[in-house]
Amino acid sequence: MSTIRALRADRTGMAALCAVLLFVVLALAAPLITALYGKNATEHYGQNAPGLLSPEGLPVLPNGGISGEFWFGLEPGLGRDVFAQLLYGMRTSLVVAVAATAVIALLGTVLGLVVGYLGGLAERAFTFVCNVLLAFPTLLLLLALSPVVKTRFVDPGENEPVWMQFTVLILVFAAFGWVPLAMVLRTTVKSLREREFIEAARASGASRWHILVRELLPNIWAPILVNVTLTLPGIVTAEAALSYLGVGIDEPVPDWGRMISRGAEVFYDDPTYMVFPGVTILVFVLAFNLLGDAVRDALDPRTAH
Amino acid sequence: MTGYVVRRALQAVAVLLAITATAFGLFFAAPSDPALIACGPKCDTGQVEAVRHSMGLDRPVAAQFGDYLGGLVAGRTITDVDGSPIDCPAPCLGYSYALHQPVLDAIADRFPATLSLAAGALVVIVVLGVGVGFTAALRRGTRTDRLLSGFTLVGASVQIYFLGYALQYLLVYATGALPVPGYTPFGSSPGAWAAGLALPWLVLGFVNAAVFARLSRVQMLESMHEGYVRTARARGLSTLRAHLKYTARGAGAPLVQLLGLEAGALFGGAFITETVFGIDGIGKLAVDSVVQNDLPTVVGTVLLAAFFVVVFVALADLLVARLDPRVRLV
Repeated sequence: MSTIRALRADRTGMAALCAVLLFVVLALAAPLITALYGKNATEHYGQNAPGLLSPEGLPVLPNGGISGEFWFGLEPGLGRDVFAQLLYGMRTSLVVAVAATAVIALLGTVLGLVVGYLGGLAERAFTFVCNVLLAFPTLLLLLALSPVVKTRFVDPGENEPVWMQFTVLILVFAAFGWVPLAMVLRTTVKSLREREFIEAARASGASRWHILVRELLPNIWAPILVNVTLTLPGIVTAEAALSYLGVGIDEPVPDWGRMISRGAEVFYDDPTYMVFPGVTILVFVLAFNLLGDAVRDALDPRTAH
Repeated sequence: MTGYVVRRALQAVAVLLAITATAFGLFFAAPSDPALIACGPKCDTGQVEAVRHSMGLDRPVAAQFGDYLGGLVAGRTITDVDGSPIDCPAPCLGYSYALHQPVLDAIADRFPATLSLAAGALVVIVVLGVGVGFTAALRRGTRTDRLLSGFTLVGASVQIYFLGYALQYLLVYATGALPVPGYTPFGSSPGAWAAGLALPWLVLGFVNAAVFARLSRVQMLESMHEGYVRTARARGLSTLRAHLKYTARGAGAPLVQLLGLEAGALFGGAFITETVFGIDGIGKLAVDSVVQNDLPTVVGTVLLAAFFVVVFVALADLLVARLDPRVRLV
């Protein structure tokens, strides 16, 4: 309870929490908002109506074609609505990030708990695997693995179904993301293992399952929570980076990274287009980092300012 | 100390071996067909089979891996698509059929660009990161501390693929304060080398310095209250000297380790920075080879990046063991 009170007293933390919640609500309500706004994320408005894009594909109106009609302007080339794309891009980011973070939290918790409690040979094998995974250039591996997985499961000539693109991305992120959490939990569990309450449980004949789930797990949720607030924005940016580099979710699913990559092609002529996804990612990650700091401070008052 | 060095080195070799096996298994066991790519779209089935045979791709993966490891240690001869032999001296990382040159040569061609970028960025990271972190720690709770903490928070949250373009627009296109970023070899013109890399250094350095600044602030705050710092001050050392001589040394270990990891990662190629600024380094080579399905180059760059991380992390550990005698006992 004192943790929640400490969090509520932290004004920056509460502001960050509100920002994060706002993002979630916007993503959830995207279909409703775009319906009220009267545009969707896939229609090529600039190509369908004359006078919106120049022959070179750039918005005619200044500042990327911002107007009362198109609040954040038009995408150069295809002429899609930037506001609708941003909203739906948020859904792409959040689906990948939330799902991958959930898998990471589960994997990391199970591995950290079990290895920390067992120790011995399991721990040595675990340390070795962690060292190998940590030395891998993760981004490059993500970049290289996605097409490999695609060719494995999709027949040549066919398009990869959207759900599979998401699943591959989530699993690849999870496969390399669990290491930091598992390493932290192993250390925590190792020190908890020697405490009296575990000894008491063992002496009273409690099963291993009972000790792991009922005795140890309730004592490690703080590092899990801190890790989750750090992992989630990391995956949002990594997902955007992959799409920026050309591997990731394909068209026509809206994606922030792909917006940046398209913006990079035209940023001398139409810098406005890139500002929207760029600033959105910045604000999103900033809010999560602030929230993460607040959670950490609330859980561990020693690190507070 | 010798025992520690030997143990650490053996561990590094074992990790590298495991990484080689994993990378090789992941990419060569993958069903995308290197023979088809090497031969090109005009080949018929018979030609592809011939190419597959001459490349040794019809042999079991274990045997291919054996060849690869042998090539790494002792060099080997690789057969080109048309059947002509190519000499690939140790450490042989294979032959890129897309680039028509041994992978190691392709890497060597681009390494100076990556090295220049990484070295400059590391200087920015250390100076900015440690400077900001230590200043914030010494002035803990003041307005300076809050200002610097806000600064690092932005650095930790901003993305290279946004900041890079934004600064390029402002400093290069709109005001002309800097020339168009890019890589000019140091040997041909040191001035153009520095001017072309100035913006990449700053962007890559700033983004990575943020993590460094946060860690050095926390470490500094923690070790400020250690008994040995209090003892030093009680014995009459001035505050600043006590902090520089003892606090910094006590706080140094995790910083050195982070720097090792950072250096290893940067020498393996800064994928995004190189792509944003059009620097033809190892990161860009890796991204291009992924897009072109050039498997030997992908594996080669993965191995190189892992090699740098393992070596620099090991070096950092050794340095930490020298700095802090408590580590050696573990």
